Amino acid sequence: MRITRDRKRFDEIGEKRREDLAEFISHGDLGGSGPDRIRIPVKLVDLPEFVYDRRDAGGVGQSQQGQPQPGQPVDPRPDEGDPGEGGGEHEYYEMDPEEFAAELDDELGLELEPKGKRVTEEVEGEFTDVARAGPRGTLDVDEFFKRGLKRHLATDFDGEYVREGLFVADADVDEVFAWARERRIPVSRAWIADAAAELEAETGRPVSAHDRWESFEELDREVEMEPTHVRIGRDGLDSVPFRREDERFRHPEVVERRERNVVVINVRDASGSMREAKRELVERVFTPMDWYLTGKYDEAAFRYVVHDADAWEVDREEFFGVQSGGGTRISSAYELVAEILEEYPFAEWNRYVLAAGDSENSGNDTTNSVIPLMESIEANLHAYVETQPGGSGPSARHADEVERALGDADNVAVARVGGPEDVTDAIYEILSTEDGADRPRNPSEVSS
Amino acid sequence: MRDDRLDAKREAATLAEPAREARALAERLGLSPYPVRYWVVDHDEMNELIAYEGFQRRYPHWRWGMNYERQRKSDRHGLGKAFEIVNNDDPAHAFLQESNTTADQKAVITHVEAHADFFANNRWFGLYASRGEDGPNAAARLARNGDRIAAIMARPDVDRDDVERLIDAVCALSDTIDQHRPVDAARTRSDPADGTEVATDESLATLRERIDELDLSESVRRDVFDDEWLDAQEPDGDVDEPRPDVLAYLRDHGKRYDPGDGKAVDREPWETTVIDAIREEAYYFAGQKMTKVMNEGWATYWESIMMGGEGFAGPDEFLTYADHMARVLESPGLNPYKLGFELWTHIERLTARRDVVDRLLRVEGITPESFHSRVDLEAVTESLAPHPAIAGAGPATLDTLADLAGANDPRVDAEAVDRALSVRSGDLDPEAGPDIERYPWKLLTFEGLAERHYVLSRPEHRRALEAVSRATLRERARYLFDVDRYSTVEAALADVDRTAPWRRLFEVRESHNDVTFIDEYLTDEFVREGNYFTYEYSQAGEEFRVASVDAADVKRKLLLRFTNFGKPTIVVLDGNFENRGELLLGHRYNGVALDEAQAKATLERVFALWGRPVHLATIRTEYSEEAVRRARRRGREPEGREVGVRFTYDGKESTEHELAKDIAARIAAETVDYDTKPDE
Repeated sequence: MRITRDRKRFDEIGEKRREDLAEFISHGDLGGSGPDRIRIPVKLVDLPEFVYDRRDAGGVGQSQQGQPQPGQPVDPRPDEGDPGEGGGEHEYYEMDPEEFAAELDDELGLELEPKGKRVTEEVEGEFTDVARAGPRGTLDVDEFFKRGLKRHLATDFDGEYVREGLFVADADVDEVFAWARERRIPVSRAWIADAAAELEAETGRPVSAHDRWESFEELDREVEMEPTHVRIGRDGLDSVPFRREDERFRHPEVVERRERNVVVINVRDASGSMREAKRELVERVFTPMDWYLTGKYDEAAFRYVVHDADAWEVDREEFFGVQSGGGTRISSAYELVAEILEEYPFAEWNRYVLAAGDSENSGNDTTNSVIPLMESIEANLHAYVETQPGGSGPSARHADEVERALGDADNVAVARVGGPEDVTDAIYEILSTEDGADRPRNPSEVSS
Repeated sequence: MRDDRLDAKREAATLAEPAREARALAERLGLSPYPVRYWVVDHDEMNELIAYEGFQRRYPHWRWGMNYERQRKSDRHGLGKAFEIVNNDDPAHAFLQESNTTADQKAVITHVEAHADFFANNRWFGLYASRGEDGPNAAARLARNGDRIAAIMARPDVDRDDVERLIDAVCALSDTIDQHRPVDAARTRSDPADGTEVATDESLATLRERIDELDLSESVRRDVFDDEWLDAQEPDGDVDEPRPDVLAYLRDHGKRYDPGDGKAVDREPWETTVIDAIREEAYYFAGQKMTKVMNEGWATYWESIMMGGEGFAGPDEFLTYADHMARVLESPGLNPYKLGFELWTHIERLTARRDVVDRLLRVEGITPESFHSRVDLEAVTESLAPHPAIAGAGPATLDTLADLAGANDPRVDAEAVDRALSVRSGDLDPEAGPDIERYPWKLLTFEGLAERHYVLSRPEHRRALEAVSRATLRERARYLFDVDRYSTVEAALADVDRTAPWRRLFEVRESHNDVTFIDEYLTDEFVREGNYFTYEYSQAGEEFRVASVDAADVKRKLLLRFTNFGKPTIVVLDGNFENRGELLLGHRYNGVALDEAQAKATLERVFALWGRPVHLATIRTEYSEEAVRRARRRGREPEGREVGVRFTYDGKESTEHELAKDIAARIAAETVDYDTKPDE
């Protein structure tokens, strides 16, 4: 159908013109998206035209409640016109988290390779694997014969040729054996000794007395060794030596699939100092990371923890909005995190602990409690995002202290966000830090 | 359409009779529509047709895809339930949605018949449609354009993206045409075949092709159609008068920017083909856009006469129909169906009233002053009621109608009455006679139907005569001659022409477009009763506010919305601006500024069709911060300053310049003022 062609083209154009992803993350409206569909606003796709300035043109309206008073404010609706003539609505490009993750990889140059953890399946594949033992019925006859044949060929040699060695002047059994072995003929000394005895019995003379050839060199010159395949081709195979060790039994392959699963714990400081602007920055950093991780992993679980002096768990809907009055004790959150993570054994789950706040903490809580907790909680990543519009005050030391103590650890990232423009850098900083992931590195990095 | 479309086929079969009878009724009511071909389509096909603006085959373009997505979206929200789509062609094609109820289908068919009448008779449609024997042939032309452009896109030497960009550019300018003249008016030249002066929308490149087709010997060709001759055929690029058909000017004199050479080069023939095709389509749609209110109102009016007045909907279907009609008319905002319907009804009522009033004022002793006291208007209205047998035409009144027919009454279709009588007496197979039970109108002529639906007899208009003011009466009396012609009111009323209102509607339908229609017939009453108002943006309050409820203001604002498609008028002022071969466009400033962001973006599209730098002269109003602050303090609107601006796009960047005084004078406001803010 024609419309399929034109819709496809429209989609392509929508994709080209949608808001730059980094721009969207930093400044765009994140609210229109759900956890499964990410809606990226598309820049005005419709064609431009010469039109009046909407404000300058004014318009005509119809009041539903009697005659209106001049001066009364009105909210002009976009032109109704015909049903179907869309007004000035926004256009969106929708992507699922997988596409979002791929795009963000592209955009930020991330190379996160999620690793499989929990074993989810042991599949009986096709009968492709083989073992040395098994029921007779699964004996691989072809393989058995092939191995026997190979063995036969490996031990077969041109007997006439070796026997000829016995006719070299002054050659005894040992010399003939040494000569044959030099020529890689798989013959045993016993076989030569038997042949020599046979020859002596036939002719009545000792082997050394035969002098058809002056030397082995002359023999080599005069007689050609016959290759095995020619001989088999002429005489056929009389027997193939079957041996138990050649038996192979077919059996199904066991596939172990590990699900790439992740649990993400978002932690946020909800204390009095976390005002609107800071909260919004947290949302800007966390939301795309949630989408990203959802897109990267087969299964993603999200848990949300907020804290002031105490910590408690909330739903996603509440997470970015909660504000409480109390003080701040960040370790309370990590205590709760440790508890929650017991449900997600590290052997089976990838774990991300993403915390955010304004770096304010009480007393020595960071050094005495938080850092030991972070060290003890096993995770692919511990991140702390400091949101401080306009820079941090002297009392805001949490990020610094964590960085000083754990900055060298492979699984700790600290990012500072002063405004929307820092959001993508912070996301990069966090997502490019992960312990134990098999990240491909540039060769130069390896050597340095 | 697929073969397995049983539902559609079944539906189509049940609609054959309503379609046939609706046509017969429409013609009896005095309409003369193009033939209509009806198609039954499913929901998806309907959405697709809407996306393609009513046609099955268009050129490949992403915009149709966008339309489709939007249509589906509004569908999902229950908004855009499309009942019908009809295109203006001879024959017209109407598409009915399979899932409509029977009542809907019948309503749609009557509606479509009226549209087809409008297409066939309105002169603004005629601008496109009058093409000699071929007729408008719109579906075929659009399909051919589709094939041509698709073929161009498929050519190995043409980059598909280039074609698309060109289409985008032309579409962005598809309203900058001269919609008041025929599509071919921009150029006429003599036909190389026979030398006659023919209107042709062919480019010079296709002209060369046509000469080649004449298969002349090379020497003759060189002698007769040499380059000099060809150059002379190239229309003059000098602009003496501002040219409103910007697209035609760009087609004839524009070039293409070659980024490799960094300069303008001549277009490839295929580029001109594309421009021509889309410009031609713009003319097709222009007729529709210029008469939206009239045309929808017209269709709604006749639909209501046929469905309601003539019972085209069966009694069981009537409620569904009434509900449908109410939804159409009551959808809020400025609704073209409602506005048009009311204006048509207004014209009808006005014409009838004028006819009656003029005759009454000719009765001896009746003057504007004595009118209300001497004339018993209730009795007048009573006596204007249709003849009972006309009003109640049908099996019950057949004998009376037969008597009237016997007296050669022009209101009765004597032959139909005769056949109906034969059926009744058993002389004629009922199948062969008129079904006067279901279609009683078959017994009446145009005159009869005009009386049956006479506006002043309709309950909602019965007080129209009483409402006539003394001032109106004086106004009418001033132009009357032959007063005292009638001795009695009865004698005067006997002469009332009940077909006059409809005849007047037909005249108006032929000559008007939305602008003239609204300008002439929008009344104070309409504005007042509809609680219409104008709104303006308050610079001080940074919001839109109700500005006026005055009927004249509302009309002025409405006219702004309908004049030139509700878009600013852009003309070509100079094709050799500052002697550098640059293009200067002018916005004919009427007090309303351009949307500058869109104007700049559109200018970039103009560049794609000109190949050299392009300029746009306009005027905008600037408000100083100081003035806004001061105005805000006093609770009034700030004084703005009108400043001339020239926007330029040179292929790389948009710039803004001061506008030379003489150019500013050429585009400056005429007398129209669309500002309806109250004077302070």
